[in-house]
Amino acid sequence: MSEPSTVQAVEGLFSQTPEGPRLLGSRCANCRTPYFPRSETCHNPECERSDMQDDSFGPAGRLISIALQNYPPPPPTIASDPYVTYGVGLVDLPEGLRVIGRLLADDPEQVPVGGNVALVIAPLGHDAEGREVLSWQWKPI
Amino acid sequence: MNDVAALGFGMHPWGKFPEKRLNDICRVAVESALGDAGIAWKEVEAVCAASSRFSGGKGWGLNGNDVVEDMGSTGVPVYNMSAGCAAGSNAFNVGYTMIKSGIHDVVLVVGGEKMPKGFIQTSGLEDETDPEYLRQRCVGLPGPGFWAMLTRARMEEYGTTEEDLAAVAVKAHQVGTHNENARFRQLFSLEDVLNSNMVSHPLRLYEICPVSDGAAAVVLCSAEFARKKTTQPIWAASTAVATARFDDGLPRGLACVPGEGRPHHSEARISVAKALEAADLGPKDLDFVELQDNTVYYELAFPEEWGMCKPGESERLLHAGETLPTGRMPINPSGGFLCFGEATTAQGLFQICEVGWQLRGECGPRQVPNARVGMAQSIGLGGNGTAAILKR
Ligand SMILES: [Zn+2]
Repeated sequence: MSEPSTVQAVEGLFSQTPEGPRLLGSRCANCRTPYFPRSETCHNPECERSDMQDDSFGPAGRLISIALQNYPPPPPTIASDPYVTYGVGLVDLPEGLRVIGRLLADDPEQVPVGGNVALVIAPLGHDAEGREVLSWQWKPI
Repeated sequence: MNDVAALGFGMHPWGKFPEKRLNDICRVAVESALGDAGIAWKEVEAVCAASSRFSGGKGWGLNGNDVVEDMGSTGVPVYNMSAGCAAGSNAFNVGYTMIKSGIHDVVLVVGGEKMPKGFIQTSGLEDETDPEYLRQRCVGLPGPGFWAMLTRARMEEYGTTEEDLAAVAVKAHQVGTHNENARFRQLFSLEDVLNSNMVSHPLRLYEICPVSDGAAAVVLCSAEFARKKTTQPIWAASTAVATARFDDGLPRGLACVPGEGRPHHSEARISVAKALEAADLGPKDLDFVELQDNTVYYELAFPEEWGMCKPGESERLLHAGETLPTGRMPINPSGGFLCFGEATTAQGLFQICEVGWQLRGECGPRQVPNARVGMAQSIGLGGNGTAAILKR
């Protein structure tokens, strides 16, 4: 049996669906607070009865800040080899969630804060076994 | 309730000391604090210590037990406090509370740390339920990147420039150069800072703090005990501890709810507000502040978030020299983390030592003139925040 050539950075956090890529989280049915990743309990101090249900988020949001990663981070981060500076975007989703993710952009320094981004599932790089490692990323649109 | 005096302050300078044991570094700080207080080790009734993840403590964060064994096993109670980078000041809060409540008359608070190389990987766990692991594995945003994200948001909102950021570092070294306990005492020009390597755009190497080794200790005591030792004690007016609120808009793992207003460290805002209220002071009553400047961003954002100045005003105050020791809103007269480097669990106590020395007027060229009341503030992993206000 051969190893799969593509793996998820961590299983169970995102999926490609017929409606497009989704982040897999949860939402409290009592107070409507969204969570990513899934949460076992509701952390909202105003919520008196935690009632967590699976929910999913995407496909688009708005960039509220960007950081560039100018040096190769240590493991367990996966990055391209040879290393190329990538951006990380802080994105507000209309579902009421703020999520970080890598920016999928050739020149992350030119990406404007305030712009819209699409959720995509894309490779971060390769792991030590040579497998392509996938994660959710933000693609400027 | 008893008034609480801070009777003695001691420090081992910050630096890298591969040839020294953690016990040696702690002992220098403890002996110097005891000497400063004019008391013997046997007079200490309890020890409150910062728990380290990186060094000593028998692998269980029992750093206070190490100190007691090293100084002499008198049988005193030891409280080892774990609060990430806020552990030192968290231990200070516990020591303060024990004097305040009358449980003990003399308490030693101590924090010492020998740090591993490189930037801190905040949790270091390889566990898919750990938010920090998920952030590094799925995205890749180490500490400097997290600070960069906050910084960029400020630049977008207020037009803060890269030159403004660099000017904070220039100012830090302008005062830190006078501090014999600081590790990085060289002076930098704006060009030096702007020419240092980009670590995580928009932040450069000289605008973020590296890791250091160091130790600091404070002797706390009751007012009655203090009067036997000095006629001019420094008082611990208040201390406060807080944890982050659910809705502060700051994603500590992969995500959060946006909440109201701009993303911020609510644990810092809350602990500072509580400490001010307990001391019956307003934010503008503070003569100076030692705040946790892991990066230049915090020196601009924190004073605004705490009401020491108006939102968006920090850059103007910086350029006008108002954040220097001689200005109207002195920030980090010690030189701050930019000059000390981060010795995680010890640093909350170097800040408190600096506040004490400033209030005594012992700080020479970096002295805040006629300082009467000062605050030390720190934050740590897990959304821990602390603040302590000292006065004379
Ligand atoms: Zn709820």
